[in-house]
Amino acid sequence: MNVPDDLRYTTDHEWARLEDGRLRVGITDYAQDALGDIVFVQLPEAGATVEAASSVGEIESTKSVSDVYAPVAGDVIEVNGQLSEQPQQVNDDPYGEGWLCVIDPSDPAAFGTLLDAEAYRRLTSS
Amino acid sequence: MRTSPLDAAHRALGAKMVPFGGWEMPLSYPGGTLAEHRACRTSAVAFDVSHLGTVRVAGPQAFETLNASLTNDLGRIAPGRAQYTHLLDEADASVLDDIIVWWVAEERFDVMPNASNTARVMGAVGGQDVTDTRAIVAVQGPEARRRLQAVSPEAAEVPRFAVRQIDWRGTPVLVAGTGYTGEQGVELAVPVDAAEALWSAVLDAGVVPAGLGARDTLRLEAALPLHGHELGPGITPLQAGLGWVVAWNKGPFQGRDALEDERERGPKRLLAGLAMQGRQPPREGCAVMMDDAPEGVVTSGNFSPMLERGIALAFLPPQVEVGTAVEVDVRNRRLPASVTKLPFLAKKGA
Repeated sequence: MNVPDDLRYTTDHEWARLEDGRLRVGITDYAQDALGDIVFVQLPEAGATVEAASSVGEIESTKSVSDVYAPVAGDVIEVNGQLSEQPQQVNDDPYGEGWLCVIDPSDPAAFGTLLDAEAYRRLTSS
Repeated sequence: MRTSPLDAAHRALGAKMVPFGGWEMPLSYPGGTLAEHRACRTSAVAFDVSHLGTVRVAGPQAFETLNASLTNDLGRIAPGRAQYTHLLDEADASVLDDIIVWWVAEERFDVMPNASNTARVMGAVGGQDVTDTRAIVAVQGPEARRRLQAVSPEAAEVPRFAVRQIDWRGTPVLVAGTGYTGEQGVELAVPVDAAEALWSAVLDAGVVPAGLGARDTLRLEAALPLHGHELGPGITPLQAGLGWVVAWNKGPFQGRDALEDERERGPKRLLAGLAMQGRQPPREGCAVMMDDAPEGVVTSGNFSPMLERGIALAFLPPQVEVGTAVEVDVRNRRLPASVTKLPFLAKKGA
């Protein structure tokens, strides 16, 4: 499984990328593989305020439904609207075109509390 | 957990394996469920369905035993034909299992229950469980027969609902023109020792391996019932819209009296199709809302890869007509849908 070194991760199998103090968020390669073919993505509204670890959306594959959790508290400032018609981008490019949303964190230090790549690799190989 | 004779072949292909009815079977191969689904609608796929049971009922009493137990009338067909039929609960006419019977020879029937219902079916019709002696490969799709020509011309030519024993490289293989996808195709019951060779030959002919994920989305688009969802405790053939499976003009069969009562009263609910406006799949158990009241329940729902929207089978009050606008409550969100005719895709024959 692909686990890029420059990202941080959660135990819910999401990734976050630090971009000018904001966090771009998606699900990991491991998560998309486990879900199978994704057919529907429900995302939060841009402008929504979210709590850390709260459910902010859903990802549905042909076999199951999974919650999307906010990795950190903050405000959702952008969502990936392309996924409403092309949800399979999450399978095809989970760390790129398949991103879910961008969060402006209420605590700038929150990113540093997420798992690093090494810790996430241990989580998914155990 | 039981494994198929093709277990090693699936793992070598990189299949994701899942538990299903006491068996560990392929959910999908690396191409994924959607690609496998589309391959079945446009070319040809192969499923390992070895988890289906095979109960062999043989002898001079076999015909009468089966015809007195099951709802359909074997008198309508003949040796060398297959028939879809139900086993009902004597008390309330619930469908205990839905079954395909392969009438192999005058006094030999191979009765094929769902994986987890084999013991229950044997309790009703006797016979010998020969599930462990064979693998079953279902080859389905508009190109299925053409691709099978390269494997076995005899197998490729078995017509819809016919059953024939053929010789494949010195091995007797039982072939039936049956399936569970709404496409053309055949199912091949092959002795365990030759199973891997046959599977490989089918794939070498350009047939795409497909798993249970695609099998489920394919059967849903074709509106074919799955036991435990559209059939099961409390659900009769009449409610499921499968009255044609019941041969009223033959003698007694298990559950007949209870089913006659329901026929006179009229079923209190009927299986219907729902087409969602959007992509989100409704799921089993979701309430179907009409005028803000829950009037029905989804039995199976998923994304239709061909229609590119959510579809579902649901029990609704019997008077609800095709075209009626409804809402489906999907985890507390009301999603618009309309009652649609079944199957969801135009029929092309099995």
